[in-house]
Amino acid sequence: MSVKVEVSEGGVPHDRIMAIGLVGSLVAIYLTYLNVLTGTQLFSFFGGIGAVFAIWWGTDSIKTLCSYGIGTGVPSAGMISLGSGVIAMLLATKMGVASPIGAVIIAAVLGVILGFLSDKVLNMNIPVMIRMLTELTIAGALILLGFSSMATGSFAFLDMIAGSTTFFGIEVATYSVSLIGGSVIAVIFMLGGIAIQHPFNACLGPNESQDRTQMCAAECGFLSMIAVAVMSFAFLSVGAAILGFIVAFIGWIYTYMEYIKLSKRDAFAWLDAKPIREPKGGA
Amino acid sequence: MSALGGAAAGGEGINPTASVIGIVVLLIALGITFFIASTGGTIALIGIIIGGALIGFGVHFVPVGGAPAAMGQAPGIATGVAMLAAGAGLAGLFGGAWAASLGFAVALGAGAVGGGLMMAITCLMVNVIYVFGMGIPSASGKVDKDPITGDTFPQYKSQGTEGHGLPFISYVGGVIGGTLGGLGGTLIYLELLAVYAAALPTLYNVPLEEVLPVAVSLAGIFAVGMFLINAVLTAYNITGTIEGPHDPKFKRFPRAVIAAAVASAVCGMVAIMVVAL
Amino acid sequence: MVENLVLGIGVTALAGALATVAGAAEDTESDIGSQGDPNSQVQLAPQMGYIHRIYNKAISGEPPAYGLWCALGAGIAWALMAINLNAILALIVGAAIAVFVQGVYATTAYLGRTASLAKFEQPVYIDILKSVTTVTMAHAFVAIFTTISMCYLMVAALGHPFPLPLLGLVWGIALGAAGSATGNPFYGKERQYQEQKFGAGVPISASGNIVRYAEAGQRSSLDNGWFTSKLAGPASGLCFGLIVFFELWRTVLFESFAAGWGAVIAGVVIILIFMVIDRYVETWARNTFGPYAEAPAEAEEAAS
Repeated sequence: MSVKVEVSEGGVPHDRIMAIGLVGSLVAIYLTYLNVLTGTQLFSFFGGIGAVFAIWWGTDSIKTLCSYGIGTGVPSAGMISLGSGVIAMLLATKMGVASPIGAVIIAAVLGVILGFLSDKVLNMNIPVMIRMLTELTIAGALILLGFSSMATGSFAFLDMIAGSTTFFGIEVATYSVSLIGGSVIAVIFMLGGIAIQHPFNACLGPNESQDRTQMCAAECGFLSMIAVAVMSFAFLSVGAAILGFIVAFIGWIYTYMEYIKLSKRDAFAWLDAKPIREPKGGA
Repeated sequence: MSALGGAAAGGEGINPTASVIGIVVLLIALGITFFIASTGGTIALIGIIIGGALIGFGVHFVPVGGAPAAMGQAPGIATGVAMLAAGAGLAGLFGGAWAASLGFAVALGAGAVGGGLMMAITCLMVNVIYVFGMGIPSASGKVDKDPITGDTFPQYKSQGTEGHGLPFISYVGGVIGGTLGGLGGTLIYLELLAVYAAALPTLYNVPLEEVLPVAVSLAGIFAVGMFLINAVLTAYNITGTIEGPHDPKFKRFPRAVIAAAVASAVCGMVAIMVVAL
Repeated sequence: MVENLVLGIGVTALAGALATVAGAAEDTESDIGSQGDPNSQVQLAPQMGYIHRIYNKAISGEPPAYGLWCALGAGIAWALMAINLNAILALIVGAAIAVFVQGVYATTAYLGRTASLAKFEQPVYIDILKSVTTVTMAHAFVAIFTTISMCYLMVAALGHPFPLPLLGLVWGIALGAAGSATGNPFYGKERQYQEQKFGAGVPISASGNIVRYAEAGQRSSLDNGWFTSKLAGPASGLCFGLIVFFELWRTVLFESFAAGWGAVIAGVVIILIFMVIDRYVETWARNTFGPYAEAPAEAEEAAS
């Protein structure tokens, strides 16, 4: 006997979630460009918001893909999403202002090829495979770009490889204390990889409901944003990092409370220190 | 990872048209790389393709039983395919990266042995738990006799199960899978490291020692990403569980090798473009 | 490369010890929270009509989850060290924040899975959430802190080229893989299906019928900690400890021979030795336990 992966019908159609997620993520990541225009680092947290949008969208893509029964577990979809996303994102960061759009395009090409390989060469024959893998690659690339720009303040390659450190009070430019030089990008990779697959993996079951799953996605996104905010202390000014931390924390508290409320709404019973309740029909 | 799922939709056999299209994509990637990075980049890409194919092939050797193995209902290791292979391959990559300064062949050897060593120890401890902790001898469900040792299995299979533990052929398969995975991952890492170590100093006009952390990290994260892509594609091919090289599912490996090679070619091309464009 | 051999051997031994503790803590944590492949039975049980009070921590498999906690701990520690915080304090803060993230993920997993099982009348038990979550977080802290400390030793004392976060990722996934492979069958069969006969696998017909009433009272996941620490925890610790120790030992000791090939040959020899040990264990089991089919009564008696 194996557990059946069931998904809820109805709710917001996936196309609308994709549109909101894609546009919202791009707009938010582009808002970090205000850093360059104003010469500060205070707008970095918009990158994190962009990543939350992408996680929110990617959750629904994973849900749509896995409801067809891919034979392996849900976490592998998250891993392939971020694995291909990181490759697309790193090339896109060399494109200057066009980086976010470039990330979407490169990720789309990569995703189509991977989807084609999975569906046709590996004979999986799942109708939505190519489209969903494309969406997942784009979402993965945007998550990485969003969190990277939140941590460093910009989405340009040069800013991600060049950092500075203080040596007895003197600022020294160095390549090793940077997002890529210090491999912080590996942390963002795993943060995104777990965050994108956790909401569906955690909420699956016969009574899965879309609003609860999506709320969990937002909560995972803000939780990851808190972690990235702590790491941004090494790259941004103290004020910008604290601002990012506060925004992430408030976002997380709100979505977490809402998620608990929705779980209470959907649960069969909400018991505190009560014994096992045998069902009416018996075992 | 729990092997949840409805009916797995994987079919048998190779899809010839799709495979040909895949190979055409691979050749296009090689061509573009030759155009932008000339011979050095193309040789690196060929190395990456071989590395990816090795990963795709090697993952088929690893015995994975999934959720039933956790209850002694099926032989194999009770973890997911992609992540168990990733664990072994990354442990190999650790060793290979450490030996990178000693030469190409030595580093490859170190990577391969690192992956194989991790699987050897893990598979031994799995058997120790099954034998001494649960009192269950190893038995395969797919064949009646072990191809290597000649042990017979049907009378050692408990009732109502499909086998349990790690028969010797599965153990050997696990070690081979770890070795090939470590070898493939280290090969990808070394090729990319060579490309970045050559290109980054000229691009940013700095000596190599200063920019080496960036080259190492870029090559490392690309290697991890490509390893995961290839491992997940192979897991899709296996559809969840496999007992090892003696399992009938093992014969599916050609299409996984093709898929892994094409995926690695395209991803490798993008990785080289980061410094070549 | 390693300049000082004695320092290298000392650090190798320390790293091996840290890895052993990490492996034991990892497996204990994943059994207290019921993560990984055995958790599919916890998910299945209500479907078959067996309501339970087990913590359904469906985060993902252990390798990617531990890959995240260790990479996150290492990343935060690295960031804090980059702003010139003391190394040990940075490792502790890094592990603490990683544990916070782990705890939140655990609660959302339990609430999500259990709320989605409302159709099978599985209630959400809030007292489980309150009592078990902090215990898993504590064990996870031990696992994460020892792993990232071991990674820091590899960077600072042994001179590995990878930066700390990347090492955390690599060893986190390896830790999860080793601990999950070794510990899952023990928890899945011996604890969840205690009522099945010892010395045989669980028949497929018994799926879902996990133990819900314990020695006295109703089983809570907290009891799994005690159980795991009897065998599977130390075994997982031994597994991961041996992996780390031999990986470092063969490099530190033998790399100077034969232009680096010495370490590779040493590794091959060690693999062959383990293969021989495994074959011995396998034949010992076959000879001592005997086959099932010919004499079923004997097989069940011949427990180790």
